[in-house]
Amino acid sequence: MIAARGSMEPVPAFYPGCSLDGLGTPYEVSTQRVLSHLGLHLDRIVDYNCCGATEVKSLSQDVSIALPSRNLSLARSAGHHQVVAACSGCVYSLARAHSVMNEDGKTRQRVNELLTRGGAPPYDGGAAVQHVLEFIYQRAGPDGVRAAVRHPLAGITVAPYYGCLYTRPKCYTGVGKTAGTDNPEHPHFLDELLVACGARVVEDFSAKTVCCGGGHALSDLEVSVAFCASILNEAQQAGADIIATICPLGQVNIENHLDRVRAAYGEGVVRPAAYFTQLMCLAFGSSLREARLADNFTRPDRLFRSRGFT
Amino acid sequence: MPIVERSLVEVDRTETLVLDGVDVSGDWNAFLRPRVVTDLDSKIVDWVKTQPFGETISRCWQCGTCTASCCMHSDYGMSEFNPRRFIYLAQIGDEKELRLHSDALWRCISCNKCVERCPKGVKVEEVVHAIGRYLRATGAAPESPADRFDRAYTENLLDRGILDEAALYRTYEREEGRQLPLRELVRTGFRLLTTGRLRTGPLAHRTRGWRKMRSVLRAQLQVDEAKAASGGRK
Repeated sequence: MIAARGSMEPVPAFYPGCSLDGLGTPYEVSTQRVLSHLGLHLDRIVDYNCCGATEVKSLSQDVSIALPSRNLSLARSAGHHQVVAACSGCVYSLARAHSVMNEDGKTRQRVNELLTRGGAPPYDGGAAVQHVLEFIYQRAGPDGVRAAVRHPLAGITVAPYYGCLYTRPKCYTGVGKTAGTDNPEHPHFLDELLVACGARVVEDFSAKTVCCGGGHALSDLEVSVAFCASILNEAQQAGADIIATICPLGQVNIENHLDRVRAAYGEGVVRPAAYFTQLMCLAFGSSLREARLADNFTRPDRLFRSRGFT
Repeated sequence: MPIVERSLVEVDRTETLVLDGVDVSGDWNAFLRPRVVTDLDSKIVDWVKTQPFGETISRCWQCGTCTASCCMHSDYGMSEFNPRRFIYLAQIGDEKELRLHSDALWRCISCNKCVERCPKGVKVEEVVHAIGRYLRATGAAPESPADRFDRAYTENLLDRGILDEAALYRTYEREEGRQLPLRELVRTGFRLLTTGRLRTGPLAHRTRGWRKMRSVLRAQLQVDEAKAASGGRK
């Protein structure tokens, strides 16, 4: 029934971005599993390029718009009206480019000229951008997820970490402005999906939408470590067993700084972190290996093994 | 009514006069010098307005929502990082004061809470970055670690179209003059490679047909960087 519901609507394109093809491989693998469990389908963009995140725009506006626009125009050439990305950084930069290309005629002209000269089709502004979390929520919803659960995450307390760029800013993403989207100040889609998977979600997780400092993970180490520590600390205070992430930058940043956090704040604050799709996979009956949980440096597989998951 | 602020009275308006034996000398017909502040310097604002979304700086009404929301200011607790104040200093053109904040200015981590919440639609994050770039372009502030990272990142991704994270890490750390922690690298590198999470060097992904795009975008990057540098000197 869910499959029928999914197949009636147009199939959006999937933008993996560099992170899902590299450090975030467990995220992509688990996302594809979740989608197929729910009978949803996304078409992967072939020969995509890096979106430039928040780095390129401080060097050149036109290049920072052209990079994501190339991906959006590839999706348009394949006949899609919607692009879904799993990385919040990618969502931000794709949505930013989409909004500029629609609103600023002069930039559109310049960027399209760059694209044409570089051998890519010009972008017509017709591909809306969405985070994969929102896509799953809108297409399957908590009810659809509940129906697909085979192995509920009973007894697992999760801290849902949304991070910074999932909804922000609404002028680009449209989140909170258009119907059926999340609340940018108090996001709850991840909470609801995890509850549908049978997990308990902590109520007062104040670091929910705090930045992880991932953009300055190398250039401003001290700040970046402090943010990761505060996320882990808040999760511990709230009584969470594990942190669910929705962005490879947040996940990798927490993994990367784990030793430094441990050294500065002690073993007590350390919690494993996993992509929300990995947790959903487990709930849908995948094994720990299939959900790629042992791939994460924070080793969430150990937690689940001790709770009877295999 | 006596005029207290003597410095504002034009001297030649002061008259000495005795009428019917009464001395009525004073500031008759005194005009006050105009008190419009004229030493505001619009050069920073003018430059910021040439930058992407920089024109939104003029909408700011100094409510401070950005600063109150700011991850760096409120969560990390760096009180010196104050976007409202950066915008104010740019608006009055106080380059001297801004220069004192040059080590704070680059620390914005682009979490976009300010842009999300600004009631006037100022793209605070972009404006703050533009103010930082102004200081760098005029030579008033040294290049920051974030500037160097942005450049290393851009060059890395333009090379193949897809980022090679390990190569970026190596280049950037070397540029900052930091020693690579070899033992740690071998350990994490091994784990990443065996779990298929690391694609670097010959294994790295590349975008097919990227070469043409690369040369177009590289040329554009050079044009824009030269423009930013010269705009600051004006």
